[in-house]
Amino acid sequence: MNAFQDILILVVVAPGLIFAVFALLWLLGWTPSEHFLSGITGLTFSACTAGVAALVWKITSASNITVTFGSWFAVGSYHFPLVLMVDRLSVPFLALAAVLSGLIGQFSATYLHRESGFLRFFLLLHLFAFGSLLAFAAGSFDLLAAGWEIVGITSVLLIGFFQQRRPPVENGLYVFGIYRACDIGLLVGIFAMHHWAGTASFVGGFPTLTGARAVIVCLLLLLAASGKAAQVPFSGWLPRAMEGPTPSSAIFYGAISIHAGAYLLLRAQPLLAQSVLASALVILIGATTAIHGTIVGRASSDAKTSLAYATLTQVGIVFIEIGLGWRWLAVAHILGNATVRTMQYLRAPSMLHDYHQMHSAVGGELSATGKQIEEMLPARVQLWLYRWALDRGHLDTILERWVIAPLLQISAYLSRQDCTRTPSPTTIRPGRAVQVFASGPAQRSN
Amino acid sequence: MSVPGWVLRTSFFTSASVAAPWLAAVVVIGYRRQARVVGCIAALLSAIASTVLVWKAPAGESLYETLMLLFSCLTFGAIVLLPRRDSEVGTIGGILVLLGSTLLAYSTGNLLVLLVAWILSIVPFLWAGWLRSRKWRPMVGLLSSSLAIALAIGFMVARTGVSSISHLKGQSPGGVVAFALLIVAAIFRKGIIPAQAWVADAAESGPLVPTALLLNGHFGALLVVKLIVPLFPETDHLFPVLSYLAIATAVFVALRALAENSPRRLLAFLALSQSACILSGLESRTAEGITGALVHWVVVTVSTVGLFGILRLLEVRFGENLSASKHLGLAEHAPRLAVSFAILGLALVGLPGTLGFCSQDLLIHGTLTTHPLTGLLLPIATAMNAVSFFRLFSRLFLGKRRTGFTIMADALPRERWILAGIVLFLVLGGLFPNATVIEHSSEVDVVDEAIRPSTTLTGPRATRTTIRPCNPRTLNLSTTSIPAPEVEHAE
Repeated sequence: MNAFQDILILVVVAPGLIFAVFALLWLLGWTPSEHFLSGITGLTFSACTAGVAALVWKITSASNITVTFGSWFAVGSYHFPLVLMVDRLSVPFLALAAVLSGLIGQFSATYLHRESGFLRFFLLLHLFAFGSLLAFAAGSFDLLAAGWEIVGITSVLLIGFFQQRRPPVENGLYVFGIYRACDIGLLVGIFAMHHWAGTASFVGGFPTLTGARAVIVCLLLLLAASGKAAQVPFSGWLPRAMEGPTPSSAIFYGAISIHAGAYLLLRAQPLLAQSVLASALVILIGATTAIHGTIVGRASSDAKTSLAYATLTQVGIVFIEIGLGWRWLAVAHILGNATVRTMQYLRAPSMLHDYHQMHSAVGGELSATGKQIEEMLPARVQLWLYRWALDRGHLDTILERWVIAPLLQISAYLSRQDCTRTPSPTTIRPGRAVQVFASGPAQRSN
Repeated sequence: MSVPGWVLRTSFFTSASVAAPWLAAVVVIGYRRQARVVGCIAALLSAIASTVLVWKAPAGESLYETLMLLFSCLTFGAIVLLPRRDSEVGTIGGILVLLGSTLLAYSTGNLLVLLVAWILSIVPFLWAGWLRSRKWRPMVGLLSSSLAIALAIGFMVARTGVSSISHLKGQSPGGVVAFALLIVAAIFRKGIIPAQAWVADAAESGPLVPTALLLNGHFGALLVVKLIVPLFPETDHLFPVLSYLAIATAVFVALRALAENSPRRLLAFLALSQSACILSGLESRTAEGITGALVHWVVVTVSTVGLFGILRLLEVRFGENLSASKHLGLAEHAPRLAVSFAILGLALVGLPGTLGFCSQDLLIHGTLTTHPLTGLLLPIATAMNAVSFFRLFSRLFLGKRRTGFTIMADALPRERWILAGIVLFLVLGGLFPNATVIEHSSEVDVVDEAIRPSTTLTGPRATRTTIRPCNPRTLNLSTTSIPAPEVEHAE
């Protein structure tokens, strides 16, 4: 094992180790000070960033770096390969995750100073960094799925960071439900790869799948990617996720987590290239999401939601690029979008202050930027479109009415059949079924 | 000074592990003081004896010894975790009787002894009045399962005149009637559809921790592994029915849990849904599925006992009228209980980094290989369970802080250490699953040997792999007719 392989292991493992040690010590009764915690965080991510820089230098001058540990577990002929791999695709994402995690850590040390959940936030930040680094450095879809799930759960826990308020908690549950539903695609897709190709590892090349099998695997991965990247029809969770603290919104929904879906598709690009149907579907979903994002974003009344939809629009365009096979354009687009959005999210709490400063500097209000494109539409269409955008494309309503409410009604029916006394289960009334499960649109706030 | 030979015999340690809790139960009931201390010592003695049994067991034949060790340790943890309010003579005595019976059932190779252990395990629930209100369904479930297994064993012994399980292996003693009765017993005891309702009733009306231990003895799965599969190999075409019923139970109960607001019932549904997956994995007849089922057995047992224990601690601290219909904000009062609850619950539904992830991964692979269509329902059920669990967690622990409490204790030191131990076990097991998985994968032979020669492993590599029966430690796969294909890679 050479030095670069050691560096790769350290980069991935370090945040996870910090999380594990601090979590265990806390569970046993010890709480670190803010100063100590933020210092350790800065040190960890500085080391990670330096490590990733070394990996970048190595990748530009030589081939991929691969670390094979064997199998995480092996049973019969099935094994879970524990392989880390850094190539030209994963290294930009690794750099993004390491640099932005450190940046967010430093920002949050001040932003969340004396906040009751300070330790919780930093522990989850470390866990998230571990999950994302693991997903991006994975040499197989199995390991990618492990990192993917960790990113998902930290995302949900940070949405509910302000746990005393009901909307963040309920929205966290809603996002968790969407994630889990879409992750079925990833799990079954990986199984299909093992079943048909004998492996889900992409070290040394992508597992060979052709014909209908390739299409099925692509569609399953697309389901997972769409859920993670908030593509239509799963876009409804993104504004709900803005309930979390701003630094976590920045790194999750401006930079890393929202682009993880695109990374999955980029990884599956060789397979995607074989399936016209799947590629067309990726383009269609991306285009629909981009249009949806830009229209709904225009009707958003708060900064973070507007930014979320701006990100969503760009991610939709990234999906189009992936569908068209423009791989490196998509990577460049992701890097640019992630960096800019992170900066915008972090400045969002100070936006009014920034505007005030700009107005003072120019001696009045800023000049108008020009006409909005929607003004070219007839007034009636504009009104309809405005109402459509206000309800965020009715996506939540459709999901709630046609998926969540029927499931809850079936469950409540079964409960009534099951109970021999006054039923304890939830009573479902038309119009508020979804509030049982999560808060409705009226309860969203940012 | 030399050690007497009988002390070193396996039977001595088996007897010691079973007898210690029963003797302790007699002491507790007679002495009526220091019940928790006596209970802990007895469970610890059982655990030590089980450890020796695991150590002495031949390679690849330590399945039941491992389960004995697990259950003893879990009972020790449960007794320590019990709130003081529940640490009275009846509860501790009942738990000890349950421990002895469960260990006897795991260790025995005799049909009649198994029947005695089966019946003894439900005795505490019958005599102690543990199942207070709405008790007819648990009673019917437990008594029906006991009646069915009694009839089945009676029929088998009457027809063959033999009560040794090893002698009856592969002979289908009692024919279809005995087979059907055993299936009925497994269905009732495990809470498989249509007999699923008693589990939630038992959890709601009975004492939480003993009920969790009763459910996690997994006598239904034990019956499948110990009797149904080895004794009736030619009825293998009927096994998929059990698998379909198990998957149907997993989905039905997961669906049922979505709108449930009673934390006790909700946790019981989650435990039932997840444990139903064990049967489908065992039936999958793939190495992945069987190993996944055995590891999942461990995960479900450990995490649900922890979850029920935490729920009981919450009830004692915050009142027994906890509900998932509103946010209670208990994490502000008990953050360590909240974190432990979250980790155990997420491990139950397959959080990466815990042992649950490995077991779910293997189970899904195994079940999908054998039943591609119905197997798809397994990840769907798990996803619904995850949502239900997260809803319960967020309703109990998150939300606005409750006021009006004068004393709001987080996990006490003894509770903290036990919970940390459980969490560590699940996390370390997940990080280094080979220590657990490979240990159990050798036990696949035990199940597979019972299925042979009528079945071989199925799946993508079905035609080229069969499991060898006498296999040391690791699972060896022999190449038979078709060589393993090269994995082709695209550019």
